[in-house]
Amino acid sequence: MKTVDVNVSQSSRISAAVATFFLIVIILMVIALLNAPTMGGPKVMASVTTYLAEVQRTALPFLGAVAVLAIVIGLLAARMVYHEWPNPRRRLNLITGYLFLSPYLIITLIFTVGVVFFAFYISFNQYDIFTPPQWVGAANYTKAFQGLFDPAQKTFLQSIHNVLWYALIVVPLQTGIAIFLAVLLNSRIQFKQFFRTIFYAPSVTSSVVITLIFMWFYLKTGYINFFISKAFELFGLHWENINWLGDPRGLIQLIVEAFGGRIPSAQWYLKGPSIAWMAIMFQNIFTTAPTFMIMFLAALQDVNPTLYEAAAIDGANNWQQFWKITLPLLRPIILLVVVLGTIGTLQVFDQVYLATSGGPLGTSLTPVFIIFREALGVQGPINMGYASALAFILAVMIFFFTFLQRRFIERETELY
Amino acid sequence: MAVRSIQPPKETIAQQLPKPWSYYVGISLRYLVLTLIGLILFTPFILAALGTFKTDAEITAFPPKLFPAEWLWGNWVRVWGTDIGNGGTFPRWLLNTAFLSVTVAILEVIFCSMAAYAFARMEFPGRDAVFNFMLATMMIPGAVTLIPAYVLMTKLHFINTYWSLIVPGAVSAGSIFMLTQFFKAIPKDLEEAAVIDGASHMEIYREVILPLARPALLTVFILQFQAMWNSFLQPLLYLNSADKYVLNVALSIFQQQFKAQWNLTLVGAMFNAIPVMILFFIFSKYYIEGVAYTGIKG
Repeated sequence: MKTVDVNVSQSSRISAAVATFFLIVIILMVIALLNAPTMGGPKVMASVTTYLAEVQRTALPFLGAVAVLAIVIGLLAARMVYHEWPNPRRRLNLITGYLFLSPYLIITLIFTVGVVFFAFYISFNQYDIFTPPQWVGAANYTKAFQGLFDPAQKTFLQSIHNVLWYALIVVPLQTGIAIFLAVLLNSRIQFKQFFRTIFYAPSVTSSVVITLIFMWFYLKTGYINFFISKAFELFGLHWENINWLGDPRGLIQLIVEAFGGRIPSAQWYLKGPSIAWMAIMFQNIFTTAPTFMIMFLAALQDVNPTLYEAAAIDGANNWQQFWKITLPLLRPIILLVVVLGTIGTLQVFDQVYLATSGGPLGTSLTPVFIIFREALGVQGPINMGYASALAFILAVMIFFFTFLQRRFIERETELY
Repeated sequence: MAVRSIQPPKETIAQQLPKPWSYYVGISLRYLVLTLIGLILFTPFILAALGTFKTDAEITAFPPKLFPAEWLWGNWVRVWGTDIGNGGTFPRWLLNTAFLSVTVAILEVIFCSMAAYAFARMEFPGRDAVFNFMLATMMIPGAVTLIPAYVLMTKLHFINTYWSLIVPGAVSAGSIFMLTQFFKAIPKDLEEAAVIDGASHMEIYREVILPLARPALLTVFILQFQAMWNSFLQPLLYLNSADKYVLNVALSIFQQQFKAQWNLTLVGAMFNAIPVMILFFIFSKYYIEGVAYTGIKG
């Protein structure tokens, strides 16, 4: 139902469309200008003119590419305005709508979309902020996989190996524990709210606080060694205290050595997650399981109780009810928790930065930690191009796993 | 966001019959397990809190004792009086953290509710495209934006200023998404009455939607306050002078500075944990619904 206002002349319609086009193009170009791949540093950033001169010197191809995109988006917007303009109500809606969205749109375009474009461009360059970016092609990407041929450059591969173990152990365990806690809390008990609050409370504190407390627990003279030695004493055994966060021995290595075998240090990738790494995993599960428990609990409360009553009448016991009713109904949330868990675990940083700095022997290195180190030049020169390339490799990995999990878990869902 | 009222199912006939002894064993076992899990989850905090009163020697002694031989309040006083020079004092860090957390949370509530209003209650071309764009940006891993955002901050002269955390923190796709879902659930009739009275969108947003959405806005405020209070990587990157530090970053420096003096580090950790814990116990309902909701529908 379109009422056309005859008072709106064709010319005002066109000028509105043209104004929109220029507004959009100018906003997008300013955002592109801010994210233009130039060098930074105090000299360049002294004033707008010095910066623009630098942009002109190094970033014109980048701006050109963005300009094409900006013109396309501008044209689409102009067409929309041209279409909506004659109807006063729809015109008002259009303007108000985008005004309401503008703070979000501008901030996101600058700090999320713009920077991703910049990062993608810079990942093909040698870049350290203080000198102009130098095009190096795919060198940064191939460098990441150098470790395949040259064991001396295994750092990044080792970090990938580490986070894969991390995700493989942490995600199933924290999901399983979260479901267990949620089902327990959802059973017929008094003080449900009280227990829910108590269970969740540890998860609201920062990872820094938790990590500091656990670093103290993991000391050679800490509580973890104390509790284990007490438990061993019950069986008349002796426990030799270990320095948890400094122990590079791997899980598989320990098993092999228990049977008298040996894994040479050149085959580091066969050793499995180190004791230090597993200590961090334990701490992570401890804090994330209650968060995911809350999600499962909310989903469980939406389950129709008559389903259980019907099952009980048919003679299904609690165990069967859990496997045949609860778990299938939780599938969408399980997918979500597994995906969120994978995304989180592949990007571990805080714990590593504080507790181990990637050690011992690189067994707790993670991609984000290396990205941080390379970007700030903590060890050696600042290497932002390489760091960006690593970030994109990690992002592709994350997308890949999310996709796989979605396919796998959703296909299973269809069976029910 | 449906406020979930948990009603215990009505007693069925089977439940009114005298119960076998195994029923009571099962019930008490359940409470035992619940209490045990609660204790285990709280153990780190209890042990750390007790540790803050121990002496330097006691804190790393083996075997560790549960209670300090003598309650040493001096550790708390010492940490409160920390001064690493250049204006880096403990009260200052606490203040910085609180200021940033409150500011970011307020801005989130304002800007995210505006965007959510447009998504949920208005009709204009391109709305769904922008919404889908927003969902797509939620997929971008934080690791990718980390470095380029740092470069952008240096260009904007935002490094070592609070703008570096406030401006990008002022909106988040997750909060907008949550509020959009909430706004959609508010019945249209209220708004239609206002439209007949000739109210503009700004008026409907301010006079009708915001008052009705108070619980959801409070949830966004609390979750964002907590997110900022607990954030580490961004402040570590962007704020690098001692008087600008937030508590989390200061704590990491603490730990390197005090080395074996774990009692002092633990005091710092407690200072950081206690405010969010208190906030959580007051508003736990909003916290839990927020987490459940953003999680499931996000």
